[in-house]
Amino acid sequence: MPRRRLLFSLLVSVAVANSRAATGLDHTPVDGQWMQAAKDYANTRYSSLTEINTSNARRLVPAFTFSTNLKHGHEAAPLVIGSIMYVVTPFPNTLYALDLSKPGAPLKWKFDPHPDPAAQGVACCDTVNRGAAYGGGKIVYNTLDGQTVAVNATTGQEVWRAHLGDIKRGETITMAPLIADGKVLLGNSGGEFGVRGWIAALNLADGTLAWKAFNTGPDKDVLIGSGFQPFYPQYRGKDLGTRSWPPGRWKYGGNVWGWVSYDPTLHLVYYGTGNPGPWNPDQRAGDNLWTAGIFARDVSNGQARWFYQWSPHDLYDHDGINESIVLDITWRGQPRKVLVHPERNGYVYILDRVTGEVLAAKPFVYINASKGVDLKTGRLIPNPKKTTGMGKTVYDICPTASGAKDWEPSAYSPRTGILYLPHANLCMDEQPVQANYIKGTPYIGANVRQKPGRGGNRGAFTAWDVLKQTIVWEIKEPLPVWSGALVTAGDVVFYGTLDGWFKAVNARNGKLLWKFKTESGIIGQPITYLGPDGHQYVAILSGIGGWVGSIVSNALDPRDKTAALGMVNAMHDLPAKVRAGGRLYVFRVR
Amino acid sequence: MSFAYAKAAASIMASLLLVACEREQRDFQTPSSGSPSGDHYQRDAYDVAQGKRLFNWMNCSGCHSHGGGGMGPALMDNRWIYGGKIQQIYQSIHDGRRNGMPAWKHRMTDQQIWQVAAYVRSMGRYLRKDVAPGRDDAMQSGKAESRRERASAIVPSTPP
Amino acid sequence: MTAGRIRSVVQLATCSSALQACSGWQSALDPHSQTAAHLAGLFWFFTAICAIVWVLVVAALIMVLRRRRESESVLPGDDFPHQQRRKAIIVGSLTAITAIILTVLTYMSFYATREITWPRKHVLTVKVTGQQWWWQLDYQNQDPSQSFGTANELHIPVGQPVTVDLEAADVIHSFWVPNLIGKQDMIPGRKNVLTLRADKPGLYRGQCAEFCGLQHAHMSMFVFAEPPAAFEAWRRHQLEPAATPGAPQRITGMNIFVHGACATCHAVGGTDADGQTGPNLTHFAQRATIAAGTLRNTPANLSRWLADPQAVKPGTNMPQVPMSPADRQALVAYLEGLK
Repeated sequence: MPRRRLLFSLLVSVAVANSRAATGLDHTPVDGQWMQAAKDYANTRYSSLTEINTSNARRLVPAFTFSTNLKHGHEAAPLVIGSIMYVVTPFPNTLYALDLSKPGAPLKWKFDPHPDPAAQGVACCDTVNRGAAYGGGKIVYNTLDGQTVAVNATTGQEVWRAHLGDIKRGETITMAPLIADGKVLLGNSGGEFGVRGWIAALNLADGTLAWKAFNTGPDKDVLIGSGFQPFYPQYRGKDLGTRSWPPGRWKYGGNVWGWVSYDPTLHLVYYGTGNPGPWNPDQRAGDNLWTAGIFARDVSNGQARWFYQWSPHDLYDHDGINESIVLDITWRGQPRKVLVHPERNGYVYILDRVTGEVLAAKPFVYINASKGVDLKTGRLIPNPKKTTGMGKTVYDICPTASGAKDWEPSAYSPRTGILYLPHANLCMDEQPVQANYIKGTPYIGANVRQKPGRGGNRGAFTAWDVLKQTIVWEIKEPLPVWSGALVTAGDVVFYGTLDGWFKAVNARNGKLLWKFKTESGIIGQPITYLGPDGHQYVAILSGIGGWVGSIVSNALDPRDKTAALGMVNAMHDLPAKVRAGGRLYVFRVR
Repeated sequence: MSFAYAKAAASIMASLLLVACEREQRDFQTPSSGSPSGDHYQRDAYDVAQGKRLFNWMNCSGCHSHGGGGMGPALMDNRWIYGGKIQQIYQSIHDGRRNGMPAWKHRMTDQQIWQVAAYVRSMGRYLRKDVAPGRDDAMQSGKAESRRERASAIVPSTPP
Repeated sequence: MTAGRIRSVVQLATCSSALQACSGWQSALDPHSQTAAHLAGLFWFFTAICAIVWVLVVAALIMVLRRRRESESVLPGDDFPHQQRRKAIIVGSLTAITAIILTVLTYMSFYATREITWPRKHVLTVKVTGQQWWWQLDYQNQDPSQSFGTANELHIPVGQPVTVDLEAADVIHSFWVPNLIGKQDMIPGRKNVLTLRADKPGLYRGQCAEFCGLQHAHMSMFVFAEPPAAFEAWRRHQLEPAATPGAPQRITGMNIFVHGACATCHAVGGTDADGQTGPNLTHFAQRATIAAGTLRNTPANLSRWLADPQAVKPGTNMPQVPMSPADRQALVAYLEGLK
């Protein structure tokens, strides 16, 4: 335990030091701020604040709230820099700055980027936004219509704006950017619209393009060059990003809408790529590189270093964009630099982050869509009984299309060595059908009905021991858990439920310490910070929506079991339990 | 006596047959430009069936699923942001709408748009039972259009 | 007598002008593959046997009708035992002969169908999907970058077995290229398999053989059996995207295609147009016909088709897209340049 913590703190301080050197930021060494959605480059969502702990968490009370007045899904993580809290809303992507130094945290300023309302028609999974990042005195975030804005963190004035996404192609941007090495890293959404995925780096100073790498297509577009050294032989060869598809079909998929992590020592960014388009696999024979996998790229020029594909020739819309937590561990007696990645297909992967080798892949839920991961070849082993094909209806595929775990990020505590996984327990029936490509319209080709998984509980919050690769404890939830997780040095873990409960549990044994019913369902990411008064606060955005909550936020009709790509069938009871409406809640111990 | 019965039966059958003729008329002459009133499309089973085919081909089902909605609003209920009469639905499809409905005027012909609009009307069972489509061959999503309960009177919904 | 001999005799006897399908074009009686030869042979064998039987039965009938009555009242029960025995032997032996003939015919039929459906090693797999009212062809390959799609005109290498996977997108169709093989239904939700092998190079016509809607009669297919080298050249060319046009009129036509209604249903490789619900037009200019054999592929016919598809093929899913004559000419120029 102490050794892990030492290695870990080393990593964090290196990260902080490097970021300070690279960007000239004024990072205070105290871990009391929240400067990027994932907390740190390693994406741990771990705070070393200890004021809130297992004995006093039951005395958490609301300190203040703030309504966004919007009825769609609130997925963002608020940021806290100094004494200002920054909140990004779903469309129209307003940025609010709240002054924490004054009682009641009044609004200091707000920034409206005025995104194009037509973008709402090409948002697959509600008009959400996963948050902002802070760097160089600017708050940087993306808008639904494909723009990236940098706002002066003090005055709220726009500093620069870039426009990389084209909504006429069905391209939107929903992810929280990552700022590293003086660059803003972001990628596009639109896998359900047949959008070709890319990741780009904008210069933090002025928003100009530093580099852009596609995730499908010829090597020169994917920035695969002589430095590309994938671990497995199936990724070596020229232009595999076109040759692993029928001719021309590689133009669809591989989007980047999830999490990016960064290792400042290796100078590599790690991010996952989304599903290939369309969902109907018979229209895209081949492994469909470089979709549904993870890239390691050099942050200075975007050149790919290695790649690993979670789901070759994806059959189930298993986007590979979940978080990859950067850890240094001891693996089989040797120190190893790894990534820990809970994947949509139901496995927790441990990858060597230098080479891309899979060290382990163990299921954290019941899986029948695949039979395991062959560690010799690295390939996912499909289950022929659950293989879909055009016109064929396959029943009870587990995990479902939205995965055993979707984008909702987990948290890692170096104190317990546990990965805290918010996730779902859903299965589905799927029938692929012919998909027609019309620019700017969905390119899917599947009828889907989702349903509860084994056991009947549709979700769970699971504590996963990273080294032992087993479940330590698990809280079964009646609804899927789609909020982010937060863990602190006080050994308290926070997460929220779809029917609005914000919960604090003991990080070591999962015992419920406290819960609070918010007005709407929670799909946001909890954060914690040190307020100007020296006390620890916990903040969460409540506001149902996203893919899982679209039945509420979009007022869908449950009589159609395939609505919202089958999600309505699994969540038909949600409208009775929760209403839409965004509100920020901030808590402190009384 | 039996001849009278036969005559009666024959005339009943004939009238039934004549009524059935109303259900479906296939007119393959392309209508002249300048959109006609689209009312007759929603009384013709062939047009509604073509509309259903186009609804899938044009990816309407990608956003609206089989009427329940998804990325786009539900079309089988009685809430209409921009109006639920066939002319209003035609306009929504033809010109698009501000908050994300794409415009189809350059991508489909007028006749095709009317057919899709007529099909959309069948989703809430605003059409006659013998004109609305029956069960389709895809994985079951719910009741066929002709078997649904009629959505109650059109209720305007506030635009987002 | 060999099968061929039997065939020529019967052909001569019955052919004349009445049996027009005897030679060449879309004829099951002009086989150009072993499979079709088996079926044709079976046909002639059956015809020969049945013809002989028919002639004998009719002769016997005439004989019986013309035989003079020996006495007024002859009832079956009046026969002497030896007469009864004689009649019993005749009836018995005729029944036995019939049974033998039927058994032989059954066996011949079984043998022939076994020959045509016995799985064979193949060099090529093509998925043929029946659509209302055209044929979608997807050439498969282990290497996905070697697979491609086309429509209505099936090219196969001569002398090599080609597996044809038959599926249907909407209603039941049937694949029938009589010079090469018998009919096989294409049923939605099901895959049927045929193995084709053309023995000689040539052009063969086929059509849909299961009523599938208004334009069932205008759903024809052409099979080009080519020497392997020519086939390979064709195949490689199909993998290439369409060349970018240079002439201004063709560029206008391309823009009309990609940004207008055409791209919602049709695909042209190398452009943004990737519609999947209508035939792939990447190499449209190479095709001999428009609309599955309805019109010959000439610029004039193409213009006529684009002006009003419903007038040519009423009920087809291709709508009449309003456009000015100049635009239509540009579109025709673009399409006819898609070699």
